[in-house]
Amino acid sequence: MPLINLPAFAGDLLADFERLKTLRVDTPVIQPAEPFLDMAGEDLRRRIFMTESETGDSLCLRPEFTIPVCLRHIETATGTPQRYAYLGEVFRQRREGSSEFYQAGIEDLGDTDTAGADARAIGDAMLVLSNRLGERRLKVTLGDQSVFEAVIAACGLPSGWQKRLIHAFGDQKLLQKLLGELADPKSPGVFGYEVERLAILGILDDEERLVAHLTETMEATGYSTNASRSPREIARRLKEKMELATTRLDKAALAVMREFLAFDLPLSEAPAALHAFAKKSKLKLDDALPLFDARVAALAKAGADSDLIRYRAAFGRPLDYYTGLVFEIEAEGAPAVLAGGGRFDRLLTLLGAREHIPAVGFSLWLDRIERAIAAAGALK
Amino acid sequence: MTITIALPSKGRMKDDASAIFERAGMKIVAVGNDRSYRGRVEGWDDVEVAFLSASEISREVGSGAVDFGVTGEDLVREGIADADARVEFAARLGFGHADVVVAVPEVWYDVDTMADLGDVAADFRARHGRRLAIATKYWRLTQQFFSGSHGIQLYRIVESLGATEGAPASGSADIIVDITSTGSTLKANHLKILLDGVILRSEACLVRARKAAHDGDPTIDRIISSVRSIL
Repeated sequence: MPLINLPAFAGDLLADFERLKTLRVDTPVIQPAEPFLDMAGEDLRRRIFMTESETGDSLCLRPEFTIPVCLRHIETATGTPQRYAYLGEVFRQRREGSSEFYQAGIEDLGDTDTAGADARAIGDAMLVLSNRLGERRLKVTLGDQSVFEAVIAACGLPSGWQKRLIHAFGDQKLLQKLLGELADPKSPGVFGYEVERLAILGILDDEERLVAHLTETMEATGYSTNASRSPREIARRLKEKMELATTRLDKAALAVMREFLAFDLPLSEAPAALHAFAKKSKLKLDDALPLFDARVAALAKAGADSDLIRYRAAFGRPLDYYTGLVFEIEAEGAPAVLAGGGRFDRLLTLLGAREHIPAVGFSLWLDRIERAIAAAGALK
Repeated sequence: MTITIALPSKGRMKDDASAIFERAGMKIVAVGNDRSYRGRVEGWDDVEVAFLSASEISREVGSGAVDFGVTGEDLVREGIADADARVEFAARLGFGHADVVVAVPEVWYDVDTMADLGDVAADFRARHGRRLAIATKYWRLTQQFFSGSHGIQLYRIVESLGATEGAPASGSADIIVDITSTGSTLKANHLKILLDGVILRSEACLVRARKAAHDGDPTIDRIISSVRSIL
């Protein structure tokens, strides 16, 4: 690559990727903007560099690699499993630092051995960082969305509340606010006048009559019953909302949830702690804990230094295509996140893949790694 | 230094703005004929007036090309990033009242608050294969309110430059963010405003560009105090 602003270690990093038996891919710098806005939400619009094609399609400069790599995989109909590696420039407005910078990473698509692939992603990220940073100790934080989901399901909350909490996972402020609402019996649900009228007429308790009433109203007011939310969807959500409004989490259950979210301990101690927690709190976590245990075992087998990894129960990303593992790596003594990764089993189908393709990966912030290397050099 | 005030070039806003300035002792007269886009203030030789369209006014005040402007707060907050740092709302003028609101179909009986809407938005993709679509011309205000104030990320904005209220019924969007003064157009289109869905209570304002050159300029203070004195 002829670019002169590449970090000096780029060649060595690519050699590492090759030794890890990945397939190096490149993707166009100019990408359709829709998939990014669709996956990450409108907020991204302010941070990416957008333009329009002659025919009016929204285009943007590549803000990251995961979505382009997955789209390329779907378009070229490559078989799975397949592990891709990339290194290139991305473009995004950040609070600090330049808006064009290099990222590199690995995306592992289609491996059905979830625990093994998770462990390999963490191990590979740790390996390539250690190779750059020498003796600097790494600090890995690991979270698991599926354990959180299992805990709130086991607490016996109605599905509407489960969805709210899952959606807030990774957003500390929102999650604490929701738990506060769950505990506080003062905040009632808000219902409109029309709902009260339907309740008096007895239509509210009968889903079929409610759906018929909604259909009639939509037709009479010129609203299509299938272009947006359907009568049945509204009827079911109304029922769910009534449950949301009347559900109160008792003090004990709330304490259980808070105890769980406070877990922050070395990964090697996490399996025993989680099993003890489940037993003590009488929660059935049989679906989530075996995978967690298997991942810890796979990490140990792969030789990753588990002393460097902490499990933090409240750590997650509030993006709806992340499904299980999330992790971040820092170098000890420097606050910057050098690598971030996780499992996104939902992303490929959201992007249009016909079949379910499990996926896990990570990306590296090359400018931060460069600074961490420079800082280490200055210390010596 | 000559101070430039940008005023609306036509319609009720133009008449109401002229009336306020006249009562404040700043009678505005057009330079040349009545349809000229330049004006002056009788007896104020160091002040000139530019007649511009309402959205141009917010842009020109935001960039500091003019010193003052009279325009709707909604246009200022939509048109200028970090508005309070770049302009000062020197006076609220008591006309041009309108609210920027989040409105959903009346028949969404289960949605009365932004929290309800958050639930619906979170689920939308799984049910409909697309994100919840919001028709609006207020990109910035919508993003700030949804993402910033209510933690709702998962929606898409469909730009709508006119007849926004019709978008949900026509199927081009699910809900809207739009301006309303009496609410009658919303009602006619079977839309309801969410209880906590008022993003901004807007009215016409005298807006000053924050410029270092204004510090200690007596004309600046005189204009602001004259307008404030009659409100």
